[in-house]
Amino acid sequence: MSGIHPAFDRVLGELPDRHRDEVLAAFAAVEHAAHPVPESTLLALRDATLRAALQRLLAGLGRTLVQPAPQEWTSGYRDDVAAELLRCDGQRLPVVDRAVLVLVLVHSVAIPRSQGALDRDSWASVHATPLEELQRYSQLPRTEVRAALARLRAAGLVQLVPERGRGSGQGGAYLPGPQLQRLTPAARRRLQEELVLAAAPDTPLAAAVRARRPKHTDTPHTDTPHTEGTSAS
Amino acid sequence: MSVDPTALWWARARAGGPLRVPAGTVAPDVLLRLGEPDASGVWLVAVPPEQGGSGALTELGLAGPLVEQPNDTARLLAAVLRCCWRDPTGPVWPGVPAPWSAVTSVFRHYADRDEGAFRRAAVAAVRRLHGAGWVSWDERARLVRVGPRVASWSAADLTVLREMYRQMPAAVGEAAVGEASVSGAAGNGVPDPAEVGA
Repeated sequence: MSGIHPAFDRVLGELPDRHRDEVLAAFAAVEHAAHPVPESTLLALRDATLRAALQRLLAGLGRTLVQPAPQEWTSGYRDDVAAELLRCDGQRLPVVDRAVLVLVLVHSVAIPRSQGALDRDSWASVHATPLEELQRYSQLPRTEVRAALARLRAAGLVQLVPERGRGSGQGGAYLPGPQLQRLTPAARRRLQEELVLAAAPDTPLAAAVRARRPKHTDTPHTDTPHTEGTSAS
Repeated sequence: MSVDPTALWWARARAGGPLRVPAGTVAPDVLLRLGEPDASGVWLVAVPPEQGGSGALTELGLAGPLVEQPNDTARLLAAVLRCCWRDPTGPVWPGVPAPWSAVTSVFRHYADRDEGAFRRAAVAAVRRLHGAGWVSWDERARLVRVGPRVASWSAADLTVLREMYRQMPAAVGEAAVGEASVSGAAGNGVPDPAEVGA
């Protein structure tokens, strides 16, 4: 096998054809599927040797395997690459979008987690945030909130859920989107810490977060994840 | 910084979609380079091998990213292709610019509905496609072109698209397509962006 693609040949060139196909299929699955992929469905996710080849392939492209739940895999940006992207290209999300995303994360994840209703270290949630709640607490014009939600939906950072059994409907409700499953453990921890600093800056927990960080990184920005390039096919 | 340039460029092209850089920019050969017709710049597109691309998801039985209003979005992309792919025996990129009115005249064949809803659907779809790099939309000049991401279509994709092209109706005022100018492009049926909710 040679010449399929310069970035892929380096890793795949050393594999037999059958294994190369398995690794490419797993690459397509973790890179492009909307949700994490169960490892039982693909040999290159089940088998440790092929998974190591997949990891090398992803690492060469600035990506890494992420395991958001046992036996489920997706991919995300390597932590060092994400930091460099932020440094080179700056924050891609407008500030309004970040504000709305934070509200969804507070309502759907942070509050349920503080009540013991969510126990995993994950940004997946079944606790939807109604649109009316976002409009009431965001202190932003309704049209801006709707426009931000449209952009966040397109980026996969929030997802719309139907309001069941709530009568006429007030524009739906939102959950954290599937792209948040792509956060590495370090990125999940940073996001958690940023939410603590934003939501409860005077608490002992926030003080502990600040104490753990080097002085020069203690900035008040919200470290939202880089969005994936949106694709319309 | 110790990040490998190949990894960083690929990640940048994935995070932000196709990257437009000055013509002389040195970039790893893993990215597809597409020159602008007027040599004003170069697009860098991250295109994985076909088996590792999003087209493989169907075979694997997995869902891809959610596209809002997928039917309207696909129909508008088809309309843009019908107007901008001047020679369907050749490559899609770079194509030729087409007036917005020509694109909407083709789109209307597949999405005919009351005028307000039609305009909103067309503008929302072209915005989605522009944001994702499939279409390049100059809102002020009312001109549409194919976006650099179309260069990621494989030979098999192009065979299907050529068939589709042959079956689609030509744009009304087709003679203007490809010779569109700023003044000529401001034709009828151009939606007022202010009317369209995001």
